[in-house]
Amino acid sequence: MDIDDILREVDPTFHSVPREKRDLQDLTRAWVAERSAPELLPWPAGGLFERINDRIKRQIEKVEEMTGDMDPKTNFVLIVIQTELERFKFLVRSYLRARIAKIDRHTLHYLSTDDLRARLSEMELAYATRHQALLHNHYLSSFLSSFPPSLQNLNDTSGNITMIDAPDLDAAVFIRLLEDTVVQGRGVDADGEMDGRESDIVILRWSDAKPLVEAGRAELV
Amino acid sequence: MPMYGDLGNKLVQHAKRTQNLTHLPPYQTELVRTVAREVRDLERDVTSMLEPFQGSFDPSAEQATACTLLVNHLSMRRDKRCLLAYHRTRTDKLEELVWNGYDILDLSGQQQAGGANGATGMNEGGTTSSLSPQEEDYVRQYGDLLAAYKGHWTDIDLTGSLEPPRDLFIDVRVLKDAGEIQTEYGAINLTKNSQFYVRQGDVERLIAQGYLQKLG
Repeated sequence: MDIDDILREVDPTFHSVPREKRDLQDLTRAWVAERSAPELLPWPAGGLFERINDRIKRQIEKVEEMTGDMDPKTNFVLIVIQTELERFKFLVRSYLRARIAKIDRHTLHYLSTDDLRARLSEMELAYATRHQALLHNHYLSSFLSSFPPSLQNLNDTSGNITMIDAPDLDAAVFIRLLEDTVVQGRGVDADGEMDGRESDIVILRWSDAKPLVEAGRAELV
Repeated sequence: MPMYGDLGNKLVQHAKRTQNLTHLPPYQTELVRTVAREVRDLERDVTSMLEPFQGSFDPSAEQATACTLLVNHLSMRRDKRCLLAYHRTRTDKLEELVWNGYDILDLSGQQQAGGANGATGMNEGGTTSSLSPQEEDYVRQYGDLLAAYKGHWTDIDLTGSLEPPRDLFIDVRVLKDAGEIQTEYGAINLTKNSQFYVRQGDVERLIAQGYLQKLG
């Protein structure tokens, strides 16, 4: 137990929402954010996915247990549980696929620095490393091995042109403000600033929105 | 005489075309080989041009040579980019097919059908597969990699539908005989043109493979 846990226990809002519900909220929020952010977001810490995985497993077991029962009442409950289960599975699947798609597009970029690597989960890191190795091998065996050695690199950054493609951090995103705050945005000609109210929805560059989202003052929509 | 980079451009055009096709056109073995040869030829030119200078080349004193070197240098890099782009487009396509549940056998089978439809006979040696041997290797290895990653999420079925689930049960029509499947409500025999009301999770795979069609 660290200081965060103690603080959370005295927080009056903490006990009003059960953990399962918060997990679902976190998952939904992570899913929405991942799908709209132009770059890969950090893998959620605190074992969120382990808990969700456990719950899915428990529900599947429950469904299997209940299937034997032919009572119409259980049957109805069963359908509700299964529908909920399918939704859960969809959220997780869609979330993971969105991440994999981003990782595949800019593999070398996400593998290039420790900071970026830390955003990937362990499994994703293994996947990305192996995938990049496969690609490199494929290039090598297809044509690259016949090239002069000085041209065989895939991460050449000479001549001001880097071969490592990075996501466009200036892509536009929509955010909803979670509290009153000043929103600053860079423009083409001039920079802008506005006093945002809670639940305002703003469109701006992701690079400008990122600090607000990370501070928990806004969420992606 | 063809200009440097012309052939590379052709590869890029092939890649662009591939992006909008549902199947994979034949691998341009000859073209890839020629572009790679162009790179080697350019490199040899550069080496022989620099040889008389014994490492003491001064670009401002020999402007004509410096210019030739620069053009060669850029052409090589351009060729490399074209080759990379061409191969990446194809592997992207292959990966997409692997995600959709095709394996290497399906792929070469599909390619044979494509060849019969009069696909361009650019690939040499009379092979029917439009994948290069390297690409076949790649598909096999990527399939293994994906299976390993999926193995961490067995309960979720990563390659499942990305449409948000609306109903637990759906109406499906059988397009091709698919034999008998087991569901938790007992076995269903899927014969062509029959119609069923089944749990979506049980038949997703079959829909993706084209055995069943979702109705409504």
